[in-house]
Amino acid sequence: METKKTVLSVAAAGTVAGVAGLVLLASPAGAGEAPPALPAIGADELVESVLSAEVPALSGTVAMENDLGLPIPGLPGTAGEGDIRVFTDGQGKHRVQMAGNGNETTVIDDGSTVWIWNSTERSVTKVPHDAAKGEHADKPLESRLADPATAAREIVNAMRAHSSVVVDGTARVAERPVYQLVLSPKPTERTLLREVRVSVDSETRVPLQLEVLANGQADPALKVGFTEFADGTQDAGLFRFTPPAGAEVTEEKPDQAPRGRTPEDVFGELDFATYGEGWDIVATGTLPEGALTMPTPRGEGRDLVVEGQNPLELLGSLGKQVSGEFGTGYVIETKVGTALVTEDGKVAVGFVPEQVVIEAAEQLK
Amino acid sequence: MTTGTVGAAAMPAVLTTTRSRAPLGRLLRSEVRFMLRRPRTLVALGLLALVPVIAGVSISVAAGMPDQGAGPGGSAVEGIAALLEGNGLILPVFVLLLTLAMLLPLVGAMWAADAIAGEAATGGLRNLMLAPVSRARLLAVKAFGVATLCLLAVVVISVSAVLCGLVLLGGDGMLTMSGTTLPFWPSLGRVALLALLVTVQVWAVAAVALAISTWTDHPLVVLAAATGGIITFTVLNALESLSWLHPVLINASWESLGDIIRDPMPTDGLTEGLLRALCYILIGYSLALARMVSRDG
Repeated sequence: METKKTVLSVAAAGTVAGVAGLVLLASPAGAGEAPPALPAIGADELVESVLSAEVPALSGTVAMENDLGLPIPGLPGTAGEGDIRVFTDGQGKHRVQMAGNGNETTVIDDGSTVWIWNSTERSVTKVPHDAAKGEHADKPLESRLADPATAAREIVNAMRAHSSVVVDGTARVAERPVYQLVLSPKPTERTLLREVRVSVDSETRVPLQLEVLANGQADPALKVGFTEFADGTQDAGLFRFTPPAGAEVTEEKPDQAPRGRTPEDVFGELDFATYGEGWDIVATGTLPEGALTMPTPRGEGRDLVVEGQNPLELLGSLGKQVSGEFGTGYVIETKVGTALVTEDGKVAVGFVPEQVVIEAAEQLK
Repeated sequence: MTTGTVGAAAMPAVLTTTRSRAPLGRLLRSEVRFMLRRPRTLVALGLLALVPVIAGVSISVAAGMPDQGAGPGGSAVEGIAALLEGNGLILPVFVLLLTLAMLLPLVGAMWAADAIAGEAATGGLRNLMLAPVSRARLLAVKAFGVATLCLLAVVVISVSAVLCGLVLLGGDGMLTMSGTTLPFWPSLGRVALLALLVTVQVWAVAAVALAISTWTDHPLVVLAAATGGIITFTVLNALESLSWLHPVLINASWESLGDIIRDPMPTDGLTEGLLRALCYILIGYSLALARMVSRDG
């Protein structure tokens, strides 16, 4: 039976093609590609071009992977929740869409007002800001988050004096050829971090990806970067927002930010100060009264938090008890950093070993 | 074409096949008509049309009550539910995603079970296979019938949901998940696109069910396998530690279908889901074909 054989081989080919297609869909794109050939560039020259580059009009998708060992409240994309889509017209207008599972937070900065839309609550928060003041100093936290370009630029600027900076070859990020700029701490720095790796787009000099690597870790502890990136003029309609009918609109002043509910609130009310500089910078502060004894809210940080437990009990079960001039507290160490929380609400956090955090806490009044 | 050179011995064979072939269009029509005449098909379609009514009524009743609010960790369907109030054109999206989780695949599997295994159980398949019709053609007609009914089921749900949404929940446009409002016709376009994408996903399940259907004489086995498969896949998809496996699961892309009501619409997840479904369709029909041609009459 010739036809039967033909039909059977067609069926076999179809099955193989289908399975191959599924495997292809499952495998990450661009794996095993050779790094692109780009003209050589000196580290200083590259850093200068990054710091002076204008962010062009662009659209892209940002993904964040974190392997810090602790959930970070307020950071979108934590636990790989969803992609963040960003649009900017290169002239101070932005649109950031943080997609969750069946919900979305959209932040639109139309140049004079930041609109924050929350689809779960169908609420709009309106934060007017002074366009003339420029940059992002008085903009709410939400419009500054999820912007790897700016984050990477700020880190490069702050760290270069305390780091050895080298260009470590080329790679591809979001299908674009990039230079890899590596900042590693000078030997005198006391830090848990090994290096910060910034992938700089060869054409626009926009940082496309930021990786933070800790000592003794092969995979980055934190990786924020574009998975899609396209520069070019954006539709002006993307940067306009009219609150939909029936949505609850609240107006806030920029200085109330960073705001939010639950853990973000606690962090927002922190009375921040820094200790040290460069890689061993330690952020210190005092938690608002009662923050450590109130029961933890439901829902957020669900990997760790047991309902009804207060944060102090939680710290006790997570951290190691230490005592010193600052009183008694708990130290929580992750791969990239250490946090110290004392029983009276003092906090010190940094990308440093335990000893440096304790030193910083001792400076606290 | 080559009639002039064909030998005398081959001549009768050619004539026989030509003469015995009924026009394909008539075959396909009669298959669909035959399936539509079954009471269970009509009952299934009627019940599917009721789903949007039930959802619409319960949501418009619940709208007056204090907000219960979906948590941040809720599923896609729950998140969409938060947008439903006064936003009727979201209802088809909500209902399609809700039914895609279980009902639609089951109905598709039911028709696929009837198509081959059902015929085998009643002895009808033996007659069909003895008829001078190629097995591939027989399978194609059966597959077409199943696919048409799946499409019909999705269309019935969508139309019913659009009407219910507009009547019960109101709204003349669509408030998207991104906070923008789309005018009426583009909103309807999004609903139509979603209906099409959902249909392809149901086709994928039905194709695999059809493959199982060719391997057994008992339609219940097909339904049991489909139900078990969907539940197993849902569980596997929920296990974070198996994330490496997720891209090959058919239902991995079902949640991303909710992207249809984001603005601007991200197409990556939708395209990937479509391709994945097409792979499943290819595998399902290939396996079904292999079994059909090697099966004993």
